[in-house]
Amino acid sequence: MTQKRFYIILFAVAGLFCFLPLGLDDYRLHVVIVSLFYVMMASSWNLLAGYAGQVSFAHAAFAGVGAYTSGILAVKLGINPWVGIFMGTILAGLLGIVLGFVCIRMGGIYLSLSTLAFSEILHIIIINEYEVTRGTMGLQVPALMSQYSKAAYLYIMVAGAVLTLIVVYRVIHSNVGLNFRSVRNDELAASSLGVNVVQTRVLAFTISSALAGMAGGLYGHYLLLITPEIPSLDQQFLVLAMTVIGGMGSFLGPVVGSFILEILSEYIRAYGEYHVLVFGLVALGMARFAPEGLTGLVRGYRFRRTGLEGRPV
Amino acid sequence: MALLEGIGLSKRFGGVLALNDVSFSIEKDQIIGLIGPNGAGKTTLFNVIAGVFKPSSGRVFFDGQEIKGWMPYKVCRLGIARTFQVARPFLEMTCLENALVAAVNRHSKGHHGEHRHLAEESLEFVGLGDQRASPAKNLNLIDKKRLELARVLAAEPKMVLLDEVLGGLNTQEIGQAVELIQRLRDDRGQTIFWIEHVMGAIMSAAEKVIVLNQGMKLMEGTPKDVVNDERVIKAYLGH
Repeated sequence: MTQKRFYIILFAVAGLFCFLPLGLDDYRLHVVIVSLFYVMMASSWNLLAGYAGQVSFAHAAFAGVGAYTSGILAVKLGINPWVGIFMGTILAGLLGIVLGFVCIRMGGIYLSLSTLAFSEILHIIIINEYEVTRGTMGLQVPALMSQYSKAAYLYIMVAGAVLTLIVVYRVIHSNVGLNFRSVRNDELAASSLGVNVVQTRVLAFTISSALAGMAGGLYGHYLLLITPEIPSLDQQFLVLAMTVIGGMGSFLGPVVGSFILEILSEYIRAYGEYHVLVFGLVALGMARFAPEGLTGLVRGYRFRRTGLEGRPV
Repeated sequence: MALLEGIGLSKRFGGVLALNDVSFSIEKDQIIGLIGPNGAGKTTLFNVIAGVFKPSSGRVFFDGQEIKGWMPYKVCRLGIARTFQVARPFLEMTCLENALVAAVNRHSKGHHGEHRHLAEESLEFVGLGDQRASPAKNLNLIDKKRLELARVLAAEPKMVLLDEVLGGLNTQEIGQAVELIQRLRDDRGQTIFWIEHVMGAIMSAAEKVIVLNQGMKLMEGTPKDVVNDERVIKAYLGH
């Protein structure tokens, strides 16, 4: 897919989304808005885990950093939420740099466990610092517009998702993206061919964390109540399941996975928390039998039919 | 002036002295063989030069600059590219992408078209031109080794470190590979430092051979001198 074609399709689809308020009721709009939040989360996590190979479990934590930064600034200091979201994005990016450096000598399971610990520490701090965060009660925050409107939030989330997808697309099609993939494949070989592995890994953490921070900020100001649910491990594993089921390491995979799983979870909501269990099992099955996810299955099917390699060269 | 020079290089791993006071000097445009029994410290020496290990003592100079303790990527950008004993291609990337990684990170920066041209040309040179779009995991052993060489070329180095590139190849393939290595020097002006166990290949291609044994430099000389040297024969055959 050429760059021009990507932009045409992206903006066409985004344009179509803007007509949704005409046909959907508030509840269905809500589902679409939440899906778009997950598109931002899963796509940016895919950049870090799927392309750069750093399977971090701190992605939801960075969304929490974005949401709480903006929320606290708005509630305690009366700062405009838009400015707050911007600050939250920056802070999440900065913390991403720190976590990237802390984990620089770790790979595989050690990196995953360390980022998991980081995520839990943040979660505990948020729950216990009641004075600042209101703990599990949640922080009530102002809306992004004076007159609350689902349609307006849909436009904002579409814009956020478009921005995220453009950043991810541009990164993976640049030399930086090439370096990300080389580092995931073989760090030693990459460094012996001139790739600055430390810089590459930290950059992957920085970009993806900043994007998660932005997603968290937007989402928090949509919900109007920021709770420790945003930076929770449940959330993290949902993002992971969406990416793996959609197709990790492919551009479209996380987008597809986000919509399918979010919509599916609305259908099986009646069974309570069991949907997490179901998603876990499905993700496990996918990892075993279709490691390239749904998009990988479609690509494989097209390959068998046409004999052409589905991936562009 | 020597292109690559090592002075008194030692590398200690706990109680083991893998390299013991090794000095050597390599002139531009030479093909230098590095031989020795298993565990002699050949790959350790390469790792010290390439920046994977920091030497415990001693100094390394390349192109007039001290490179001791440099990170591997900096050593590569200065102009030393290496292959690995066991080929390490980026398996989930195409051959072209493999070569592109080296091209975009090399010492002199260029624009996108230039990188692509360089990567394609490197693949052509090693005979992988028509495989550029296939993922590296689909290649067989010799093609994986070719790909390693293509990546090294795409980095446009001044010097190439080859670590047992002939291992696992049959006689005919060895002939092709040796010819390719000679063309690297003759057509592309590369200086080559080459670890090899296939003595016939070293004999026919190298101007000078350095022999390591138990971490120490046993001798250096022309291939002919080396194979007739009593100490070398003893080191290889045991006492």
